[in-house]
Amino acid sequence: MKLYDFTLFPNPRRTRIFIAEKALPIPLEQVDALAGANRTPEFLKKNPSGGLPVLELDDGSYLAESVAICRYLEGLHPNPNLMGRDSREQAFIEQWNRRMELELFAVVARFFLNTGTFFKGRLPQVPEYGEIQRANAVQRLKRMDTELAGREFVAADRYTIADITALVGIDLFCGYGGQPFPGDLPNLKRWHEAVSSRPSAKA
Amino acid sequence: MKIHEFTQAPNPRRVRVFLAEKGIQVPLEQVNLGTADNRKPEFLKKNPMGGVPVLELDDGTFIAESVAICRYFEDLHPEPNLMGKDAKEKAVIEMWNRRMEFEILQMTAGSFRNTSEFFKGRIPQVPEYGEICKNAAVKRLEWLDGELANRKFIAGDRYSIADITAMVGIDFGRTTGIKIQENQKNLARWHAEVSARPSAKS
Repeated sequence: MKLYDFTLFPNPRRTRIFIAEKALPIPLEQVDALAGANRTPEFLKKNPSGGLPVLELDDGSYLAESVAICRYLEGLHPNPNLMGRDSREQAFIEQWNRRMELELFAVVARFFLNTGTFFKGRLPQVPEYGEIQRANAVQRLKRMDTELAGREFVAADRYTIADITALVGIDLFCGYGGQPFPGDLPNLKRWHEAVSSRPSAKA
Repeated sequence: MKIHEFTQAPNPRRVRVFLAEKGIQVPLEQVNLGTADNRKPEFLKKNPMGGVPVLELDDGTFIAESVAICRYFEDLHPEPNLMGKDAKEKAVIEMWNRRMEFEILQMTAGSFRNTSEFFKGRIPQVPEYGEICKNAAVKRLEWLDGELANRKFIAGDRYSIADITAMVGIDFGRTTGIKIQENQKNLARWHAEVSARPSAKS
């Protein structure tokens, strides 16, 4: 098994943190997406959309999409559990993981794709749309602060995949995205410090 | 148990088709998006971002997000299986479901949200971005036609949640003129087949 990865990109980081939380020894192979290595015919055979990460299984097949890769690893190694133990918990964690993905992570990504200088000329950018996404991301962070007032983690009373998605989304916003971490959101700050101090956050 | 939903919106249809495939009957309660009932305080208590569908459990808790609702029912009623039987199949179906969701449904929905009269005044619309979504969806349908040359269904040799997402995404494309082209024979064959299942009417 090996993971085709690109350290600078957010989706591979989601999978790396997940793997680190489970302490799985999966080798990483870098695919230099900045140099277009994910657009070569050879790589597109592994994942036709060119996205990273991609997991190569021992039978030679390939699995793309960060959450699908996590689901596979969760199935093989259920502990420590990151995606839910019973029907109800699985549904709640999926609900929160999707909220963090669709309402935060993807919003931040669209902000970045539509305004980042790196993407100029690489894809059609609509800065006006990017600005709307930036404002939506800030709103979502404020809401997160309220949500985190009543509990320690995003989806449950323990760390889950939803915390990973939220962490990577916020770090993209405040890192490459160059946005200030909102200073007046104490619950968000407490949560962010807690999840960032886990060794997996460095993965 | 009941589901708060809105018949015309695409995400509730995903859950209705899923439940119909499983033969599970759950009472449906309409939340009129046309009159913004999903933005009223009472509904926001059920789902703070105002999205439908929302599943209400008998103990009064709410589960939002169509795929999370499907996963809940899949776990309670694994047959007929729509989300995978073992670790690998679950992952492959999830991969395809996500591709269909992000590369097709979100694009046909993004096209509609940014150009339709319905959303005018409800959200800030950027028609130029809607056009980008439309072009992305059109290109993805071309690619999907090629994928379906080699297999019967989206994620493999049997019907799964990925077929539901793809069907709902493509059908919603009609709202902005995104449709299967004459030369896309594989896609047309697949679409005719999934649309002929009784679940497609739900």
